[in-house]
Amino acid sequence: MDYAPVRDDQRFASVTDRPLIPLKILVAGGFGVGKTTFVGSLSEISPLSTEQEMTSLSAGVDDTTAVPDKTTTTVAMDFGRITIDDQLVLYLFGTPGQNRFWFMWDELAHGAVGAVVLIDVRRLDESFAAIDYFEDRQIPFAVALNQFPGGPAYPDDTVRDALGLPRDCPLVRMDAREARSSLDTLVALVVHALACSTP
Amino acid sequence: MTYTGDYGWREGDRVVPAYAFTQGRTRTAGPELPLEALVTATKLAVEQLPTLQVERRAIVRMSMRPISVVEIGAALHLPAGVARVLVSELAEASLLTVHLPPSTDAIGGPGPEILERLLDGLRTR
Repeated sequence: MDYAPVRDDQRFASVTDRPLIPLKILVAGGFGVGKTTFVGSLSEISPLSTEQEMTSLSAGVDDTTAVPDKTTTTVAMDFGRITIDDQLVLYLFGTPGQNRFWFMWDELAHGAVGAVVLIDVRRLDESFAAIDYFEDRQIPFAVALNQFPGGPAYPDDTVRDALGLPRDCPLVRMDAREARSSLDTLVALVVHALACSTP
Repeated sequence: MTYTGDYGWREGDRVVPAYAFTQGRTRTAGPELPLEALVTATKLAVEQLPTLQVERRAIVRMSMRPISVVEIGAALHLPAGVARVLVSELAEASLLTVHLPPSTDAIGGPGPEILERLLDGLRTR
């Protein structure tokens, strides 16, 4: 695959001469758990939403065969950007929560640093599917308990047991509205991803 | 020209569906560009800017600074797949340089060297 091959001719030189390195982290979790807030607290850009079209893998959900040229259904997806240094740019993708959009996850997950699974402790069951997904594919993930005011304060062990978390999986208590708290969550994930990548 | 949601762009009284921008193609020939792939405009693109079609010109303008496929789609109110096709065409014409994600380790993510740099960058924020 050759995109815009590098040539000696100055005319073809890019406006930036250094190679850039895009990275991505997925932000998963049930509806209303704070994915948009999490991405927004960290991102240096707006707008924060893009549309992703249905693919053939979604056949049976929405029949698009009658109008083959048209992608009839799109799903909004949150994303954000953090410039790390003069080469690295990190993108955060909020994965659509509903199961019927899971076909999109495989593409999003490919090559990802890892995933943050945001959890509302009052609705733990909504996070099982995401945890299973990343565990099955050996994608490093961290579980982030988004603390809602007045929510029950279960001990870590209780939450770990309830979610069936692997022993090495980070569990972070955080507030997705706070940039510092969200950033600490990313750090916990990357530390874990690094440990996974250096056996 | 204004964006009309599901139906594409309205130009005068004519609705131009998003796929019309890409000559009916919504898939690229080769492996697909990841949504996070970054692009930058080439000097050739800057020279050819006045001759480009309006949405291609918009993409080249945006790419004066590094920008990803997903950001281009959002900025132009186009589905990500359509932005991907337009970016691929511009890259094939040597108008954009594409910066792909790093090669991945056995697990599928970036290697330890890149992760160390990412960690350092996040910790110093």
